[in-house]
Amino acid sequence: MPTLRSNRLPACSRPTPRPPRLEDHEILLKFQDPASRNLAFNQLVRKYQSKVYWHVRKMVIDHDDADDLTQDVFVKVWKHLENFRQDAALFTWIYRIATNECLNFLGSKRRKFLLPLTDVGAELAAKIEADPAVAGDEIELKLQKAILRLPDKQRLVFNLRYYDEMPYEQMAEVTGTSVGALKASYHHAVKKVEEYVTRTTDD
Amino acid sequence: MKTSFKLDAHPRRPRPLLSEPPTGYFDKLPTQIMARLPQADARPAAPGWLAWLTPALRTGLASVAVLGGFAASFYMSGTPRLTPATASTASLDAVPRTELVGYLLTSGARVENSDLAVLTAAHPNIAKGFLRVSDEELTNALDEQPSEDLTYL
Repeated sequence: MPTLRSNRLPACSRPTPRPPRLEDHEILLKFQDPASRNLAFNQLVRKYQSKVYWHVRKMVIDHDDADDLTQDVFVKVWKHLENFRQDAALFTWIYRIATNECLNFLGSKRRKFLLPLTDVGAELAAKIEADPAVAGDEIELKLQKAILRLPDKQRLVFNLRYYDEMPYEQMAEVTGTSVGALKASYHHAVKKVEEYVTRTTDD
Repeated sequence: MKTSFKLDAHPRRPRPLLSEPPTGYFDKLPTQIMARLPQADARPAAPGWLAWLTPALRTGLASVAVLGGFAASFYMSGTPRLTPATASTASLDAVPRTELVGYLLTSGARVENSDLAVLTAAHPNIAKGFLRVSDEELTNALDEQPSEDLTYL
């Protein structure tokens, strides 16, 4: 069964000594106390910032957009954390906020410029092509272009499953969709991606 | 023959090949986020006992306080003193009739039907001393009045 990778850095690579990471329930407990609220939230940001950033970045591609959205996500987390009912894991809840922010961002971008789906995909693909990290890797570039051609929600499902290796049950909590629908969506996404890369690859 | 691409055969990466964020980005990000947080401490703190009440109860309490304020202001302002209706007419009774008639004829004051109507309403028998007419004459006189003036009689 796939599990989430830890973003904990090895001790030798840490630039400065930092306090040990708190467990989620410890963070939530400290957050309830006004005296330790800021400290607890700072710990929460440090714990999840990388995962949230990359989750957002995979959806919006551009670093500046990802930076803005990541900050917005944590501001929303701050505003609503007091009412967090803990019937889901904290990370799942944060992921859901981040997901909604991404979908709203892409939706508003499309409405703002009256762009159809493919044009937003083309805009994001152009950003990927301009990214020096992808330069020279033709297959990887085609793979990314294929992923960007997927509808936003299906691309989200693909990212959660393929890159984050998130279990379907957790994905269901993040997206509010049934496990069966997620499996079908991912299956179709893989087929579309494989078909696009095959079609656009020379012999 | 074109070989079909299989995702499972492609080396899986933890994330797409995108450029890394600027150096030190994740060290600065918490500070930037903390700077953007709305500070709850800036709000005026409620008294301790008020903080224990539920929002609905606090709203109810505020409504009662506002209504109580209105009621108190009404009570404190009091009702205007009512002068007895007889006081003004009693003082008028002391004025001699000739002086009254002289005032009415020389002051330019014009007595309207409405004035007479108000006067007779306040003192139904006031006209008995000088208006000696039969019921038939009174009915005829009323019938000759314009319709809008009838409302006063």
